[in-house]
Amino acid sequence: MPHQCVRCGKIYEATDKAILEGCSCGSHFFFFFKENDIKEIKQETEKLTEQERHEIEQDVKGIIGPGIDQSKPVILDFESIRVKKPGKFEIDLVKLFKRKPLVYKIEEGKYIIDIVSTFQLKHGMKEEE
Amino acid sequence: MSILIIPNFFKRIFSNLFTIEKHIKLGFYGPPNGGKTTLANRITKDWLGGEEIGKVSKIPHETRKIQIKEKVEIKHKSRSIIFKLVDTPGIATKIDYEDFMKFGMKSKDAKRRAKEATKGVIESIKWLDDMDAVIIVLDSTQNPYTQVNITIIGNLVARKIPVLVVANKTDKKKSNIKKIEAAFPEYEAVGISAKYGKNMEEFYESVFNLVRKSKRKRKKKKKRGRRK
Repeated sequence: MPHQCVRCGKIYEATDKAILEGCSCGSHFFFFFKENDIKEIKQETEKLTEQERHEIEQDVKGIIGPGIDQSKPVILDFESIRVKKPGKFEIDLVKLFKRKPLVYKIEEGKYIIDIVSTFQLKHGMKEEE
Repeated sequence: MSILIIPNFFKRIFSNLFTIEKHIKLGFYGPPNGGKTTLANRITKDWLGGEEIGKVSKIPHETRKIQIKEKVEIKHKSRSIIFKLVDTPGIATKIDYEDFMKFGMKSKDAKRRAKEATKGVIESIKWLDDMDAVIIVLDSTQNPYTQVNITIIGNLVARKIPVLVVANKTDKKKSNIKKIEAAFPEYEAVGISAKYGKNMEEFYESVFNLVRKSKRKRKKKKKRGRRK
């Protein structure tokens, strides 16, 4: 599944090492989405200004909350919550009710950040051993 | 023999007069601006003497964090229940800061509100599994056949959480309780005006019925747990 940098909008393949090491812009936050949506997402995000991208990044961080090591890669499920523009959110309730994690595990990083349980943790993150 | 009868007699009389159900977690769910916080405030006003649980506003998503009031005791026909009242942020599928700007809010504040409201939706859903019973608060002037309402109710059914549907804002001309009853025929629906305290007697009666259902459900769950 392709991944898109939250900060600069660059799209990477799932196997790209940039997802582990961070985007060329320095961000470690990525949305992941289905291959079929690539056209639509490209169209939507191409129009975003740098300022808008920055605001989206801040929004995403705000929603996830503190207690996340931002130096490690964080993959966000673009299907449950979609940030179309700063301040414009679309929420897939069906997926959220299914308690599908919003933030996915990444192999090398060895941790899962489940946005739902993130709220229960005041400090630190849920680590996968 | 008489010694045995007396305690039973007292027990029977006492339970009839004053049955207390404890530790019920009662969640207030629904779309934004249905009147969840207004109803929660009405309850605390009626039973806790004016203590409000949260602020209300015409601008949607005023409640963006879970609000809890512990040990709310309500009495009805010589019975009493104590519950934890959990007022939740409104559940929505689309949150757009521009909708808040229509109310005169500045762009920066509106964007912050949108972000917090999105976080609130996640929080509401997260809390659902903790609830013993849920009151769905709907604006009776609005169309009840929405994705949000159907998804919330469908998920409550799946989780076997007892539900009471409240058709709020009956003080308004456009209010249509029958439409809500027709949309969710399998549930008890009670029409109220939380703002003006209209039909609260019937509402409290329905809350007692809801708690009874929840108690039955919890007993079954306990039994199943023991068998395992």
